[in-house]
Amino acid sequence: MTKRRILLIDDEVTITRGLALYLQENGACDVRVENTGRRAVSAAREFQPDLILLDIVMPDADGGAIAAEIKADPVLQTTPLVFLTALVSHREVGTESKQIGGHPFLAKPVDPDVVLGYIEQYARRG
Amino acid sequence: MWRRASDRRAQTRPLPRALNVWDENKSVTIAVLSNQSVPGRALTLSLMAMLMAVIAAVGFPDALLDQQILASMLALIPAFLLAHYRSWGSIALALGIGMVALCVTHLSAVYFGLPLGASPFILIVVTPYLAIALGAGWFGEVRRYKAELRATQLQLIQAEKLESMGRMAAGVAHEVKNPLMTILTGVKILSKRTAEADETTRLLLQDMADAVARADRIISGLLSYSRERGLDVVPADLNTTVARSLVLVKHDLDKAQIKVNTHLDPSLPKLTLDEFKIQQVLINLFTNALHAVGQGGSISLRTSLETVSRRRSGGSGLVNRVARSGRFVKVQIDDSGPGIPPDHLRKIFDPFFTTKPTGTGTGLGLSISRQIVEMHGGTIEIGNRDEGGARVTMMFKVPEGALA
Repeated sequence: MTKRRILLIDDEVTITRGLALYLQENGACDVRVENTGRRAVSAAREFQPDLILLDIVMPDADGGAIAAEIKADPVLQTTPLVFLTALVSHREVGTESKQIGGHPFLAKPVDPDVVLGYIEQYARRG
Repeated sequence: MWRRASDRRAQTRPLPRALNVWDENKSVTIAVLSNQSVPGRALTLSLMAMLMAVIAAVGFPDALLDQQILASMLALIPAFLLAHYRSWGSIALALGIGMVALCVTHLSAVYFGLPLGASPFILIVVTPYLAIALGAGWFGEVRRYKAELRATQLQLIQAEKLESMGRMAAGVAHEVKNPLMTILTGVKILSKRTAEADETTRLLLQDMADAVARADRIISGLLSYSRERGLDVVPADLNTTVARSLVLVKHDLDKAQIKVNTHLDPSLPKLTLDEFKIQQVLINLFTNALHAVGQGGSISLRTSLETVSRRRSGGSGLVNRVARSGRFVKVQIDDSGPGIPPDHLRKIFDPFFTTKPTGTGTGLGLSISRQIVEMHGGTIEIGNRDEGGARVTMMFKVPEGALA
């Protein structure tokens, strides 16, 4: 089975380290981590992920602006994207109308199994 | 367009120094007099009336009786003018007392054989008492306004406190949720890697995951609280919202074998509601009642249409809110639980106040509920029933022109 290519963009190193490990060990994912928001788009172009997990509030870049840049990119515009943010509560996640810029979002702290479920649901199938 | 509750408060209810909060027409008189003590107000009224009587006596020393009656009427004009700012009942009272005063003045002059020129002197003696009598009725009105003012000020102080907390919550949430994510992911990895571990290790890991979930509930509650600022209102039938909310907690009610008695008044007019948020309030109240009554208890739910007059405004519980006159839809939830200790009633709407076991409740439910109800222009009170158990009463104003 082909591994899903997941690009994980978050400035919190401890989060990306743990989540990447979990997705690799339990979700058969090939995970690339990017802890610098400014390098997110170039990392995506390079990695060509099946899904991008993107933090919204980062010190050097805004997740919303990165998402807009990805959407405007001819190569990346069809890449599914899921926001991962600490600025919403779990109650606000999950319904159709609760999206940010047309992308679904997950509220931190999120169970890694839920992240795997989102990957299953939204990731591009190779 | 719906304005935010805080905006409306800021525009119509600035922290007042005088009683000019509700009715601009009343502001001048009440503002002048509200800065005086009660005896001071009586004295002011008396002096004004006496001044007019002296002017009348000096101006018409040899006048006929009719002219003196006219002069006496002039003396009462200030009192009438003040009465004008109160109510029709007060004006009628003022007129009645005025007529009696005039009769006493006239009859005294005739009975004692006094020269008619002395009647203004008698009026000078009588008028202060009249003014004080008038003032007594008027002070009742002032006291009522003061009580309403005090309640409004308490509401504003509370709103300010809660808004500050909301702003803080949004900032704190981001900084706390990220470390929680790290911990949760770590716990999940360890759980997977130690699937064969002994019972104690598994229990410890589960405790850690539960602790993260608990911390997250509190932070999420604060986040929700900081966001409860806007309403998405539509004309809605409150009975339908109540019924929908009941369905959502039905499973828990059935599980605890709790009997629910509902009396929904079918004649309720439509209200302007954010149904989702009101549902959130109702679910929270039902859940609290459920926890209070325990296994096999009962909950009574009643909706009704009430007409509230100004003089009946206010509540019977400790949480006394300013009610206005008009038609209101009342929602009353009674439970058969042990009731609420009196010292808890005062704090029951405070954020983080909870009597539930540690980890069960965040202590934000009632805070958020009250915020939502007040955003709708409604009131919520919680107290104990004489027959035992707690009672929650919510009142929502029926919009003008709403049909039953």
